[in-house]
Amino acid sequence: MTHQLKDGGQVLNVGMLARVEGEGGMHIEIKDRKVVSVKLNIFEPPRFYEGFLRGRKYTEPPDITARICGICPVAYQSASTEAMETICGVTTTAEIQLMRRLLYCGEWIESHSLHIFMLHAPDFLGYDSVLEMAKDHADVVNMALRLKKAGNDVMELVGGRAIHPVNVKVGGFYRMPTLTELEGLKPDLERGLEDALAAVQLVSTFDFPEMEQDYNYVSLRHPDWYPLERGTEIVATSGVRFPVAQVGEHIKEFHVEHSNALHASFDGEKYFVGPLARYSLNFDQLSPRCQEAALKAGLGETCRNPFKSIIVRTVELAYAFEEALRIIDLWTDGHAPSVPVAPRAGEGIGASEAPRGTIWHRYKIDADGVILDAQIVPPTSQNQASIEADLRLAAEQWVDLDDHTLSHRCETAIRNYDPCISCATHFLDLRIKRS
Amino acid sequence: MKAPAMVIGLGSPDRGDDAVGAAVAERVRGVVGDGVEVLTREDPTALVHAWHGRHVVVLVDSMISGGVAAGTVTVRRAGTHDAPLPTYAFAAAGRGGSHAFGVAGAVELSRTLGTLPEHVAIVGIESTTFEHGPMSPKVEASIDDAVAAVCAELASAGIATKGSSTKGYEAGTCA
Repeated sequence: MTHQLKDGGQVLNVGMLARVEGEGGMHIEIKDRKVVSVKLNIFEPPRFYEGFLRGRKYTEPPDITARICGICPVAYQSASTEAMETICGVTTTAEIQLMRRLLYCGEWIESHSLHIFMLHAPDFLGYDSVLEMAKDHADVVNMALRLKKAGNDVMELVGGRAIHPVNVKVGGFYRMPTLTELEGLKPDLERGLEDALAAVQLVSTFDFPEMEQDYNYVSLRHPDWYPLERGTEIVATSGVRFPVAQVGEHIKEFHVEHSNALHASFDGEKYFVGPLARYSLNFDQLSPRCQEAALKAGLGETCRNPFKSIIVRTVELAYAFEEALRIIDLWTDGHAPSVPVAPRAGEGIGASEAPRGTIWHRYKIDADGVILDAQIVPPTSQNQASIEADLRLAAEQWVDLDDHTLSHRCETAIRNYDPCISCATHFLDLRIKRS
Repeated sequence: MKAPAMVIGLGSPDRGDDAVGAAVAERVRGVVGDGVEVLTREDPTALVHAWHGRHVVVLVDSMISGGVAAGTVTVRRAGTHDAPLPTYAFAAAGRGGSHAFGVAGAVELSRTLGTLPEHVAIVGIESTTFEHGPMSPKVEASIDDAVAAVCAELASAGIATKGSSTKGYEAGTCA
């Protein structure tokens, strides 16, 4: 809806942005064909999880923080368990780490397949929703639902539930799945891997707007594998790298007036976390098969076009299937599900790679294991400045497009991030003001 | 071979009244025979394929329609011959992403993909709270009525049950 203002300017009120997780607003102001203001307004109400955690026991964050999000609960569980184990000086077994990685693969499969096909693909194929898209692309939607179910099944078996898993504890799991149970997942995972590899080629045929951003990419890094459930250090394309324990020295949260969510800076500058960063900083850790699929799809070893994030996510989707199968093939029964973790006073950080980017938790506990302080830094909060910068560039680059087309382009640019601006509410109000 | 009928309890067991769908389904499990498969699910996207190939499906979920007393049980038909449910993007109630992918989105996506059963009955229990914690007393007290409604829907579709002790229904008839 377009409104004429008294000063002769225009406000285009799109009213909502479907296919994102949460509620926020976007205000773009254009004067004389110049973009003068871009604001991502997140009016998601404060949910007080960090305050709520204070006074709770050190064993509780995996269950409490998993309820923050129905899409990426494992990210919260992984970061919180690692933080607590770090504080308590406990190292879990290799088998527990493998099972955590498998659980995380389930989350990546769930989240990536949902976003790629049901939230983002309609943008490129010209539909308002997956309901419309399904009329012409039933095979793709059926495939997406199969892929997502394969992820749900991993989450149910390893995590105890498809959403908000309950089998995770500080020190490991309450119960390990058996090899027989895990092998029951293999047929769907094998089919999922083939589907995902084919999907890499499919999404690579979409029409991508030309746009590149020179962000400082930031990601976890591990010497032995592509980062999912944990890493040993945080690396950036700026060349800065440091152990995870030092992340609080480089990443600072701050409040901006137009958003209820905290923004963040990396060494004082905006930065970018998420699949593009992960991929570009860890291409060498992808499997040969996924590397080949990525290159065949036209990606380089780095990717700086945010619209091509859908290709990168699909490569990561295939990788998650491949990893899940690899872990199941390695598995043997008889391993203890957890190691004991006794509390001790201290402060520690845990980090993992949520589907939409690096997430980290910092806790401080006393000698009895009571939480004195908690800090949770999710990826969408960290990416807010980058989202605004993308919108600014999009509005500048395509300023001559009509309002409807420009708005759609801007909405797609937001969805490039798969933002989880909620875990709370339901729409984004996008406004473009021209004068 | 698939059972011809399926009862699905939808919702999160953590979220107050959202737990009622699964609670009803578990109660129904004890009063139906081999011809009825009973599932609980949290993720509505799973419905689209889960019910494919069934003749009769009864879906149980919490609902807020507004202006109706908590615990009120209502039934809406949504099968292949019934009118489409209102949807915007993903859901009638929400305007968002997968967080708002609800029953209406699942039904209509399923209709488009050709997986929607001929007979789908949605048994809704009017709810009040979706915060972390237990069900509200009025919703918990409505479980018997909801079980009876599920049994009645199965019976009306010709699905025999092996017995029931639910309130207001004779044992052995369930409807």
